[in-house]
Amino acid sequence: MKKLIALLLSGALILTGCGGSGSESVEKVEGFEGQTLKFYNWGEYIGEDVISNFEDMYGVTVVSEYFDSNEMMYTKLSAGDVYDVLVPSDYMIERLIKEDMLQPLDLSKIPNIANLTEGVRNLDYDPGNTYSVPYFWGTVGLVYNKKNVPTEEIEAEGYSILKNTKYKGSIYLYDSERDSFMTAFKALGYSMNTDNEDEINEAYKWLSEINETMEPAYVTDEVIDSMINANKDIAVVYSGDAAFILSENPDIGFCEPKEGSNLWSDAMVIPKNAENPELAHEFINYILSYEASLDNSQTVGYASSNDEVLKYLSSEDGLYYQNEAYLPRTGYDKDEIFHDNEVLRKKLSELWIKVKSE
Amino acid sequence: MKSFKSMAYPYIIWSIFLIVLPMLLIVIYAFTKEGNSVINIQFTLENFARFFSDKVFFNVLKRSFFIAVATTIICILLGYPLAYVTARMKPKSQIVMVFMVTIPTWINMLVRTYAWRGILDKSGILNSLLGLFGIGPVQFLETGFAVILGMVYNFLPFMVLQIYNSLSKMDYSYIEAASDLGADRLHTFLRVTLPLSIPGVISGITLVFLPAVSSFFIPKLLGGGQYVLIGNVIENQFLTSGDWGFGSAISLIMAIIIIISMHITKKLDKDPSSEGGKL
Repeated sequence: MKKLIALLLSGALILTGCGGSGSESVEKVEGFEGQTLKFYNWGEYIGEDVISNFEDMYGVTVVSEYFDSNEMMYTKLSAGDVYDVLVPSDYMIERLIKEDMLQPLDLSKIPNIANLTEGVRNLDYDPGNTYSVPYFWGTVGLVYNKKNVPTEEIEAEGYSILKNTKYKGSIYLYDSERDSFMTAFKALGYSMNTDNEDEINEAYKWLSEINETMEPAYVTDEVIDSMINANKDIAVVYSGDAAFILSENPDIGFCEPKEGSNLWSDAMVIPKNAENPELAHEFINYILSYEASLDNSQTVGYASSNDEVLKYLSSEDGLYYQNEAYLPRTGYDKDEIFHDNEVLRKKLSELWIKVKSE
Repeated sequence: MKSFKSMAYPYIIWSIFLIVLPMLLIVIYAFTKEGNSVINIQFTLENFARFFSDKVFFNVLKRSFFIAVATTIICILLGYPLAYVTARMKPKSQIVMVFMVTIPTWINMLVRTYAWRGILDKSGILNSLLGLFGIGPVQFLETGFAVILGMVYNFLPFMVLQIYNSLSKMDYSYIEAASDLGADRLHTFLRVTLPLSIPGVISGITLVFLPAVSSFFIPKLLGGGQYVLIGNVIENQFLTSGDWGFGSAISLIMAIIIIISMHITKKLDKDPSSEGGKL
């Protein structure tokens, strides 16, 4: 819910025109003065000075709005709201491409695309970066309080530890059907992109059983503060949030379960109805620059799509040195990318309400 | 006089666009589904059938009403004495008291609710205090207690102000008359003050019950998502599943239930207040 607070605060920031200015000597870019860019991003997902530096460089105004789920963003976009740059996740980009809601990028205007790291190149929802340029990426895993949960135990049990009654009343699940069913499918050894009815029902039972026996709490962004304060012992979180939690509380550990995970990425796209696609290209290019990517990744904790930043931050001088959650696991054959699947989407959202309200 | 009448037009236009049209859209969405290539939309009762055929939604509805009723009752129990004491104070102190009741509403509800997370947290203020006495840490957050606490906290001012308003407008000579006629304080309260303040209590109930029964972010923030209320289901249908038809159907069902329960409360209101009038 920090996102919602950020959203409220952002209103105040826009009005007062402040927002931190860490820009002593930026080189100016001519030709865009006075223009406006509408940026629709996740809450708590951008560096402190990224927006204000971009505004100073180009002499433009960036209007930021925030969403807390891909579906919320989709609903607003399809209701006709106009944005210049969005940052949806992989499966949502797949859906937006399918529904012809995005415009192809002019890669000649985005030279910084050369900075992309290996892990986010040629992703199968948009192999040639025709429509999208990665922003952050990562996996989903478990953070745990090392004082109460032995590392060997969680490594050995993987997602099944969520059913271990020793930890009853002290687990957080992520309140999104996609992520929770992912853990269930993986725990049962199925693909998270299945549309086999039996497998879905089995996953539903797996989650229901947790709901009945483990008294889990379902949270989204609150999990960050709650795990920093070690409110509970185990939580399902995105790797980037985990990196942030680990950097704030050294007692917390991160485990990428052996059963596999969701290898996800969020990427910048320009919707069909964008009013200022020229500036949008400049913005995307700017985000991929070393300075902006560094600020983003340092502030938020998610793995950068910029290769140099990724290497620097995980090196000895970097902020996330020896932070087990920062660098996403790559090349593990049980990790999967989520695909858009209308049948599965509807089914899961219906079942998720049932899981939580029984 | 004509010129005064036209002053209502801005409001009428406002309400047509922001209240009447959206309501109509909800009704249309609730009763239709996407049709085939020839007809775009088709009439359907599927959305309602789905709601009533699944036990889960009924349970959610039941839980929503239970929490809303509990919130309302606690608000009356806490709010009435406060309003009563306030209304008996000197005028200057009354202003201070009303001021103190309304101060929290200056801050956005969402922010205030989020603050409760910090208070109820395992390492939060409340548990640190209890820790001094060797108690705890107690799990407050993500329980039904936290949800009801959050609701009572957010909606209590509405109850207090309504009751206070009706109590402070009361003619004090009624009470003097009652004691002249030999009624003791308890009797005066039960036979005079209480009946006269019932309209305030009723409008307080309306102002507390309605937002409580449809609230979705308090259970989400403080209940750890385990307390799925009808508001959460509606939100979910619109934002996550994208099933606007079903979401609208639930909203409509809620609206009807609320209209009926308001009608009943209004009825209850009439008898005691007319009795109070006779005194």
